[in-house]
Amino acid sequence: METAQARRTRRREPVLTRRAAAHVGEMAVGGLALILILQAVFRFSILDGTFWFYYFRFFRTGLFGTLGYVAFIIPVSALVGFLTGWARVSRHRVLVWPAAVFVDFFRGIPQLIMIIFAFLFAPDFIPQPIMDRLFANVPLRDISVNAAAFVLALHSGAYQAEIFRAGFQSVPKGQLEAAQALGMRGWQSMRDVVLPQALRLSLPPLGNEFAVVIKDTSLLAAIAGAELFGKSTDFRGVLAISGFPLTWMFAVLTVIALIYFFMTFTVTRILLVLERRYSTPGLEAMSI
Amino acid sequence: MIEVDGVHKRFGALHVLRGISVKVERGEVVVVIGPSGSGKSTLLRTINLLVQPDEGRILIDGVHVNRRDVRPEWVRQQVGMVFQSFNLFTHLTALDNVVLGLVRVKKVPRENAERKARQLLARVGLAEKERAYPAELSGGQQQRVAIARALALDPKAMLFDEPTSALDPEYIREVLDVMTNLAKDGMTMVVVSHEMGFASSVAKRILFMDAGLILEEGVPEEIFQRPKHERTRSFVGKILR
Repeated sequence: METAQARRTRRREPVLTRRAAAHVGEMAVGGLALILILQAVFRFSILDGTFWFYYFRFFRTGLFGTLGYVAFIIPVSALVGFLTGWARVSRHRVLVWPAAVFVDFFRGIPQLIMIIFAFLFAPDFIPQPIMDRLFANVPLRDISVNAAAFVLALHSGAYQAEIFRAGFQSVPKGQLEAAQALGMRGWQSMRDVVLPQALRLSLPPLGNEFAVVIKDTSLLAAIAGAELFGKSTDFRGVLAISGFPLTWMFAVLTVIALIYFFMTFTVTRILLVLERRYSTPGLEAMSI
Repeated sequence: MIEVDGVHKRFGALHVLRGISVKVERGEVVVVIGPSGSGKSTLLRTINLLVQPDEGRILIDGVHVNRRDVRPEWVRQQVGMVFQSFNLFTHLTALDNVVLGLVRVKKVPRENAERKARQLLARVGLAEKERAYPAELSGGQQQRVAIARALALDPKAMLFDEPTSALDPEYIREVLDVMTNLAKDGMTMVVVSHEMGFASSVAKRILFMDAGLILEEGVPEEIFQRPKHERTRSFVGKILR
């Protein structure tokens, strides 16, 4: 008897060629990164002690800032996206249209404009009682910066809502009917039948959106949020007035580019591992 | 066992069921035939309340079930359903498809549920396929798993909504065999199907539906050989040809 396992392996065979293609792609990316690094090492001062002595402070603040934003924005945006996507496929009209308005609003306005908007006016929009009770001891600037980060999360949440909506909608109606016919309650059929399938189908585009939002944190430089890119422009200002070579910026940009690359690569890889871990015959993305 | 009493159902302007009354006795097998759009599926779905009737009553074992104080989930545990398109849970193995209802609805401990699921899979001839996912099974195998899944909750009756019409011809036999055995074991069954061989040999009664009404009913021989209505005659003529 042929086991399910054996059959699954056999079915994957043609993927080998695609995987080979993916490796070629990865090698090309790696090659480009390598050229960048070699340039940075030999022509510019990436290994220069003096450079790092001056840049390190900016780098450290920027790195932890960026990691903090990413650690905040990814879960918040995923939660917002999931709930909004769910609301959009709800039976209840009162949930559907606010979700649709939310998505259209945040999808239709450039992140940069929203970030600056939130930064400048967020404190004015938060009702006074809440300000008094929750943020009484928080500096106004922190409120503004975090509001901007939150708006960025909402922006990505709007895109993720569409991803989750597509995931929900690609679960055939018959699946829910079968669960109902077994006497399962609404929330049971949601948890045991619809969600496991919807989430599997959402994983690939979700990885893509996470990569986008990680890089979008660099937009917070526009409001002097303490993150990699913003701190690098601060450093450029220092260079300009202190007489150090402006070519140092090549090293700076190489470093932060590599870090963004490393972050997006890690996150998309994690999602790919999840995707493989939960892959099920009949629920895989179609190969054409 | 199952009593449908004066049931009406409208979908918007469409009047799909126009006053249907049927009684199905315990252990009886009733086959419903009729042209597409005649309301056969809707009738079946009102019995387990996947569709709520607008008017009329559904009684299961004498209990009036389409009332506000009866939970539809409870009704659906009493009446198993098998769909035309199988609707097996794509992300679960054959075994887990059968186990899910036992664990979640009947609150049976996982271990006991698996034991029972294995017995049911053996009963439909799929003991060795328990680890296969639906996509790895043929249509006939999928439908047999779906029957096992519905049987897991020990339903008092089973509803079959065109269980073989999505199947390749070579798989129809195996599904009908399972259904025939089920009937022999005394299961109460309402089957929407145009499988004339099955209907003639297994059904005790045939209902002919047209335009939301039961136009004619009788033993298979009567309906297939001496239909009274012109509509029945013309329909039977088409499917027997």
